[in-house]
Amino acid sequence: MARDNIFAGLEIGTTKICVVVAEARHDGTLKVLGVGNAPSRGVRKGEIVDFETAKRCVHDAIVDAEERSDVEISEIYLGVTGGHIRSFNNRGVVLLEEGREEIDEQDLEDVRTNAREVSLPMEDCVLHTIIQHYYVDGQDGVLNPLGLLGRKLEADFHIVYGIRTRIQNAIRCVKELELETADVVINSFATAQAVLDKHHKQLGALVIDIGGGTTDYVVYVEGAVKQSGVIAVGGDHITNDMSIGLKIPTARAEKLKLDEGDVTLGVAFPGETIMLRDETGFAGREIEREMLNQIINVRIREIFDIVSRQIQSDLNFLGAGVFVTGGSSQLRGIDHLASEIFGTSARMTPPLPLAGVTSAFEHPQFSTALGLVKYAHLVHLDRPAGKSFFGRTIKRLSGMFRS
Amino acid sequence: MVQLNPQFGRENEASPALIIKVIGVGGAGSNILDRTMLDGIQEVELTAANTDVQSLTASVANHKIQLGRNLTRGLGSGGDPELGLAAAKEASEDIQSALSGGNIIFVCAGLGGGTGSGAAPFVTKLAKETNALVLVLVTMPFSFEGRRRCEQATTSLQLIRQWADAVVCFENDRMAEITLPRMGIHEAFAAADLTISQSIRAIADLLRKPGLLSLGFDEVCAVLREGNARALFGFGEAEGENRAHDALAKALRNPLMHRGEMLANSANVIVRICGAANVSLGEVSMLMEELNRHINDGTQLMLGIGIDPSMGQKISVSILGSLGDASERPQPVTQTRRVQVPTPVEPVIEAESQVAKSVPEPESPAALQEEPEPVLTIPPRAPQNEAKPVKADPPAKPESKNAEPKQEVLQFESVSRGRFEKSEPTIIDGQDLDVPTFLRRHIKGK
Ligand SMILES: Nc1nc2c(ncn2[C@@H]2O[C@H](COP(=O)(O)OP(=O)(O)OP(=O)(O)O)[C@@H](O)[C@H]2O)c(=O)[nH]1
Ligand SMILES: Nc1ncnc2c1ncn2[C@@H]1O[C@H](COP(=O)(O)OP(=O)(O)OP(=O)(O)O)[C@@H](O)[C@H]1O
Ligand SMILES: [Mg+2]
Ligand SMILES: [Mg+2]
Repeated sequence: MARDNIFAGLEIGTTKICVVVAEARHDGTLKVLGVGNAPSRGVRKGEIVDFETAKRCVHDAIVDAEERSDVEISEIYLGVTGGHIRSFNNRGVVLLEEGREEIDEQDLEDVRTNAREVSLPMEDCVLHTIIQHYYVDGQDGVLNPLGLLGRKLEADFHIVYGIRTRIQNAIRCVKELELETADVVINSFATAQAVLDKHHKQLGALVIDIGGGTTDYVVYVEGAVKQSGVIAVGGDHITNDMSIGLKIPTARAEKLKLDEGDVTLGVAFPGETIMLRDETGFAGREIEREMLNQIINVRIREIFDIVSRQIQSDLNFLGAGVFVTGGSSQLRGIDHLASEIFGTSARMTPPLPLAGVTSAFEHPQFSTALGLVKYAHLVHLDRPAGKSFFGRTIKRLSGMFRS
Repeated sequence: MVQLNPQFGRENEASPALIIKVIGVGGAGSNILDRTMLDGIQEVELTAANTDVQSLTASVANHKIQLGRNLTRGLGSGGDPELGLAAAKEASEDIQSALSGGNIIFVCAGLGGGTGSGAAPFVTKLAKETNALVLVLVTMPFSFEGRRRCEQATTSLQLIRQWADAVVCFENDRMAEITLPRMGIHEAFAAADLTISQSIRAIADLLRKPGLLSLGFDEVCAVLREGNARALFGFGEAEGENRAHDALAKALRNPLMHRGEMLANSANVIVRICGAANVSLGEVSMLMEELNRHINDGTQLMLGIGIDPSMGQKISVSILGSLGDASERPQPVTQTRRVQVPTPVEPVIEAESQVAKSVPEPESPAALQEEPEPVLTIPPRAPQNEAKPVKADPPAKPESKNAEPKQEVLQFESVSRGRFEKSEPTIIDGQDLDVPTFLRRHIKGK
């Protein structure tokens, strides 16, 4: 993969591991060359808990992707998640020295550095410093201050950080498979690239990715990332709830969820039941439909309530509404429930169409992995040829994890 | 002011025939025993006492006592302390014979469940009746284990205090401030087991391992019997150039030490330094000097130095103290500190230690921060144990037939962490999100 117009993305998910290989074409579009997928083991709540096992699974997914795309992968954009990931917004300021009035690249870098100068707990490291808005001499609405005249440059950033050693686990896994990590990207940013277009970001949108072990969300307002977060709860919890509440084994609960999972209340006719069949097809216990929905409903409702509380201040700015994705977004009725809780339009969404993606991967499970190559592509487009400042920033950020 | 009062030959006072017994009560108690056993402790008799036969079978203790053979029939007490007590009474003869003949008896248990909370006070009483020095080491439950467990633990602790010479109380919540944010609950328990087993070992060593400077049994008893029978404990081990300083810092960092804050309130403090023959006097005096900064002028400080060739390049520091009632602060300068160091060392000048007191504690975040004061400070992650009791909101009208008396226990034990076993608990706004939402909301099926 020596060509620099080929990108690979890797999501080490709680239930599946997905690798996407894509090619940036001359017309500026992106084409997926192949998707590798393997069941995931040794991963809980989006983080590796059994290193060797997880590594074998990642290896399988990589090999699969290489075969399907006919590309030998050497470098990868790595999606990360985990309950330890936090974020906040901060403003950086630089004053141009006497006698100089034109804002240059160094100022842009300095304002970013200034915003990042916060005292994080020692165990933490910064994952992203994302520009929201620039202000020149107090004036906002500046899209690109480079070359503008001014005395004071300010900028708001969304800063994401997490526990270093926990991020390093995923990086180490990639490294031991003889691959380079091109960049570490939090899953929610990647996912947003897959399900939102420019227009949505501008109008304001909330993306919620409910996977197997985590729920990752991000809010865009006026085209910029406003908030993001991870809640270490996902589809595994729903299955566990069902297994406890209905007193059935986990595997059976998982199957029942996929077949019948629904968050809608009050639609079952009184006494409606579902017949549980065992592997041989024999009828077994009867499960009450309303109780099943109730168990799932309160769990999803709780997840949405937590997200809603955490992004409270931006609830009124979601012009494009709520986009629910990830494997667990396929629970029936989830769009209505989201709409009820967030008080705006909401939909379950698979990734936006992307050239080269076969129908097998047009499902919400693959939003994150497909989003990773889109993210890589965006970074690539943003970077003028050669070693720009942006390119260096990326290198430096990811360099922190490599050693 | 440190008074140098060389006194030799004290090692003769330490009785080599001192018999130490440790009894672990309940599930947690026997886990602590296992830890103690596995970490290696010599010539100590370990007895596990539990209602739960399964846990008893798994234990590596050399003596085992089944409590409530007829009453609970090998099952646990289901979180019921009354049942735990009755079960222990049923086995009182076994317990008595296991404890008889000991000079020092350690009783350990995790309070909150039925067996530990119910039986540990009774075992303590039986231990005291043998006239031994009785030290009790217990853990208090996490607050998220629920109110009932916390109350059971508190009640039990009060009973234990009536009979014990000293109680070292490990609060899970506090220990978890250090361990839990990065570990699961089982690792947190394992960490607690380790701390407790270290205390047992250090106290046992304090009393009987040969040393340049041994502390007499009576002195240790005096320290522990004083105060309101609340003991403080810290243990640290280190090697390398700065080993004395590092070992002390580790000992002070022990969750029970509150970074040394509590030491200031302690009326008596025993310090034991242990290492191979290479422990230098310089190291000892430096260590004592540092420790002086943490203690009050009214505190009586006693020093023991142990020589253990197996320590190699390592040095260990154990600190043991007893706390008076939190309300009655120690009176200033009622007695001079008594520190015994084997050979005359340059006396510490008083003025110097005054200056030293104003130096920020090594642990304070400010001291760790190298960069200049930044604009914004992100506080460290809130400890996971912020969790309020799982059953915070009142149960929705108990439907009589569904109202199970032992529901509180269910939260923690039956609804095990299952598939989330290996991962860190997800606790948000005081709710343990790994517990099914419908259970926390008291939604009942028919
Ligand atoms: N240190 C430590 N504490 C534990 C451990 N397991 C549980 N605990 C704590 O100890 C308390 C009592 O739990 P157990 O010892 O299992 O209960 P028990 O005394 O055997 O009582 P029953 O099982 O109800 O008969 C719990 O509430 C926890 O706070 C452990 O392995 N180590
Ligand atoms: N039709 C369906 N209805 C309900 N849930 C589903 C359905 N299909 C898949 N799921 C659930 O989606 C989850 C997997 O989603 P996804 O592949 O997005 O997660 P992941 O990326 O592996 O995990 P994470 O991102 O949380 O680490 C599983 O819990 C699975 O049970
Ligand atoms: Mg995912
Ligand atoms: Mg038990």
